[in-house]
Amino acid sequence: MSSKLHPSNNIAHARRTVNQLRIEASIERIKVSKASADLMNYCTEHARNDPLLTGIPASDNPFKEKKPCTIL
Amino acid sequence: MQEERLTSSTGAEKCRRKIRAVTVLLCSLFYCEQSRETLESLKRESETLKKKLEEERNKLNDVELHQVAEKVEVLSALSIKTRRVLKGHGNKVLCMDWCKDKRRMVSSSQDGKVIVWDAFTLNKEHGVPLPCTWVLACAYAPSGCAIACGGLDNKCSVIPLSLDKNENLAAKKKSVAMHTNYVSGCSFTNSDMQLLTSSGDGTCALWDVESGQLLQSFHGHTADVLSLDLAPSETGNTFVSGGCDMKANVWDMRSGQNIQSFESHESDINCVKYYPSGDAFASASDDATCRFYDLRADREVAVYQKDSIIFGASTCDFSLSGRLLFAGYNDYAINVWDVLKGTRATILFGHENRVSRVRVSPDGTALCSASWDSTLRVSWSFSTGSNYIFVLGKQ
Repeated sequence: MSSKLHPSNNIAHARRTVNQLRIEASIERIKVSKASADLMNYCTEHARNDPLLTGIPASDNPFKEKKPCTIL
Repeated sequence: MQEERLTSSTGAEKCRRKIRAVTVLLCSLFYCEQSRETLESLKRESETLKKKLEEERNKLNDVELHQVAEKVEVLSALSIKTRRVLKGHGNKVLCMDWCKDKRRMVSSSQDGKVIVWDAFTLNKEHGVPLPCTWVLACAYAPSGCAIACGGLDNKCSVIPLSLDKNENLAAKKKSVAMHTNYVSGCSFTNSDMQLLTSSGDGTCALWDVESGQLLQSFHGHTADVLSLDLAPSETGNTFVSGGCDMKANVWDMRSGQNIQSFESHESDINCVKYYPSGDAFASASDDATCRFYDLRADREVAVYQKDSIIFGASTCDFSLSGRLLFAGYNDYAINVWDVLKGTRATILFGHENRVSRVRVSPDGTALCSASWDSTLRVSWSFSTGSNYIFVLGKQ
């Protein structure tokens, strides 16, 4: 790309990279142990209401093959 | 006399030109010297910052997610079965999206068609032929009254859905997004009014549907962007994107700023999806792994991989609680991962070609998978008799 040959474009790109890295380096982080505990708690709280996890009884299945003479 | 004067002025002119040339040469050398210096110092600062970033992230890496998850009970066996096969596309199904009503869905195909299905009755409610093949992206509007689609035409269009089956929907199609390369992904924001798109041109963009105006563009990826996902609405105005530069970037929708970036995949990232709480996201990649990133810890916290899985993962989605990650692969299978423990819970077979998209329904009851075998399959999980009880720790 021609922009790579022009020194001022290279500098502009390098400046943008440095600014981006400054932003990323300055964010606040928490420990993985805390983050993991929170992820786990979310799973626990919502597990009971997760139909793909708990499964549904066959009789509840709204998409179950219905017999031909069903009256709606 | 005149000739003499001309000669001397030409001579002076030559001299001036020489001085000018030397000055220009010296200036450009000086400038280059300066630029080189500035470029050098910027590159050095860049390296220092990258190292600092890595150090900061590593300081907080006090434990692995799967270690913390040892307390969590092992998943009981899953019994997931396909109960609906939607046939109608003439070629590879590339994308699908559920409607909020939990029973309708929209799918798009290489054959240029977009179909709206009622997954309950298997009815094709609408079939819209588009002038372009390879409709790579489609999405249902939150209201359920419109759909968006786009692909190799470099555009993303919105089509209002009519109750009248005979109405020619293709005629009502309206172009909203215009990119300079293919549209790989699209999503409405919390309303029908704004559309977010990702593109092979390396950018993402936010558009006003009514006017087609570009509201914000997102620059930072250095190659095609293949996927995007909006954060669950409670967690604010951010979205994540992933692409061929192997990076996953998190963006502030209002400012256009790239707030976080993750680079641990070893090949193209084909799909990114937020964890239901909004604090993390997963990615699926051509490097045959899916990875899990926590946003508050600002790092990768899990890698879902197996020696036996050698084909790329093209798509992924979480179950409602976030405990399961469904991922579709190019070896035609769907691997279901235990997100916390990092192990595979089960494999789903059935498709006869690559799985291009998996999506859990809005109420979490069903999983829809779309494939290059030109079908969509809807599957449910059946309880094996005893209720699943989730116990954390020992009482």
